[in-house]
Amino acid sequence: MTLDALPSSFRDPSGFVFAENDRVYRQINNGFAKHFDQFMSSGLYEVLVDKGYLVAHEDVTASNIQRGPDCYRVIAPEVIPYIAYPYEWSFSQLQDAAMLTLRIQTVALQHGYILKDASAYNVQFRHGKPVFIDTLSFEPYVEGVPWVAYRQFCQHFLAPLALMARVDVGLGKLLVTYIDGIPLSLASSLLPLTTRFNYSLQTHIHLHAKMQETYADAAGTPTTAKSDTTKNPRQLSKTGLQAIVESLASAVKSQQWKPPQTEWGDYYDNTNYSDGSTDEKRRLVHDYLSAIDEPLNVVHDLGANTGEFSRIAARHAGLVVSQDIDPVAVERNYRRLVSEPPKNVLPLLQDLYAPSPAIGWGNEERDSFRQRGRCDAILALALVHHLAISNNTPLSRIAGLFAELAQWLVIEFVPKSDSQVARLLQTREDVFPHYNQQGFEEAFSAYFNIVRSEAVAGSERQLYLMRSLKSDLSG
Amino acid sequence: MYQIIITSVLIVFSPQTFAYLDPGTGSMILQGLIAGIAVAGFTIKTYWYRILSFFGKAKQTSLLEEEEEGSPKKEDEQ
Repeated sequence: MTLDALPSSFRDPSGFVFAENDRVYRQINNGFAKHFDQFMSSGLYEVLVDKGYLVAHEDVTASNIQRGPDCYRVIAPEVIPYIAYPYEWSFSQLQDAAMLTLRIQTVALQHGYILKDASAYNVQFRHGKPVFIDTLSFEPYVEGVPWVAYRQFCQHFLAPLALMARVDVGLGKLLVTYIDGIPLSLASSLLPLTTRFNYSLQTHIHLHAKMQETYADAAGTPTTAKSDTTKNPRQLSKTGLQAIVESLASAVKSQQWKPPQTEWGDYYDNTNYSDGSTDEKRRLVHDYLSAIDEPLNVVHDLGANTGEFSRIAARHAGLVVSQDIDPVAVERNYRRLVSEPPKNVLPLLQDLYAPSPAIGWGNEERDSFRQRGRCDAILALALVHHLAISNNTPLSRIAGLFAELAQWLVIEFVPKSDSQVARLLQTREDVFPHYNQQGFEEAFSAYFNIVRSEAVAGSERQLYLMRSLKSDLSG
Repeated sequence: MYQIIITSVLIVFSPQTFAYLDPGTGSMILQGLIAGIAVAGFTIKTYWYRILSFFGKAKQTSLLEEEEEGSPKKEDEQ
């Protein structure tokens, strides 16, 4: 029986990742056996796991999990219930992921190891903090050799952070287009002139881009460069490497983004709710979620803003993926995780009209939003009018997508009498004759059973609990 | 000819590397170029923080040590 690696797992010859029975495993190939054993016995693994930097794993080689040829060991890393990608992160998430990578590098060097890659895809978020998921990323450190992952770190982390801080926070989404990070020449041309007077950015981005260009056709591999001092007279001492890592940390930290006021900035102050009705809505959402008699492992809160209601859902679910289109809201949502419980919330950037596509070789390396969107329940609060009115999406299409993704739906209908909708309709033709409570219920009843329906006291809105008519949604 | 033999011998007897990434020649060379300044900068920063902590002002020398939760440090621009 042949075993298929995950479509994203092919670049690293030391092993690969595969799935069996909905769980992810990692095979370590024979060629990497010695390195892996040394890594595990060096103490570095324990240190990284204890600090919460690296996911722990269980050695399941002895079990009857299938494996590929050339297999040395099979390990089962700790489960990450929802995989997110760097282009879905807020500014601080990317910054924290960058700092984690550098911290891991520092600890690794202290134990005689070095990271052989510095990809942002090695980091996932768990309990509100970044964590490294690639156990095979560590290689014994050979003094003298410059860091092979330096370029990748600059492209995956420093370039997007600098662009988000200095040009526009939306530039983080360039990572969708460039799967190996933002090319340094592009970053260099987009960054303002003033950054040339900043030592970190001038060195790690601008000069780095120039060096890449100059030596683009030059030969030179890690093996020969390591041993042939005549070709590469500039070897790098351990102190030099550590100093460069410090320099990168300083560069990462000094990129600061102050979220400006956006239309969503004061959302919860300026909306339709009297103080009482927000409490009412909270109570109803809590009630509805309690009424669901099935386990809620993953819940998606769409249009979650700063995660106000995600945190209510977090009491009922294993993980709440809290997605919003506004980078300011996602940033605020993430910063809240630092200081307050609950921690089982994952804030992410997502535009439902430009949702993360499937990218990479064969469009298979990174899954689309829709592919990862299957969940136990969706929260769609204060959302449907933006979809139906601002974006002209027929209610039946909204219902269709939600029904495909989730078994349960907690959704708020926002009528035309609501001041938010009135504002949307102020400057445009009202071409929505069916946008009313009856039309809403008709459209959704084609896909869902309406289990509960109540008005949110103190507002014009109606809150529903619905169950998908599709009986089998496993997958 | 001599160079080819030496290089081949060195390649054959080099420890196997799993550094599968293309590091980029320019990137490798750049690190060699900036190492000196980076070390100088780090040394100065270390002594500066030692002076500061002598006066009770700073707690750590490295940005990469564990920080206190929720207190983002403001770093001077390099």
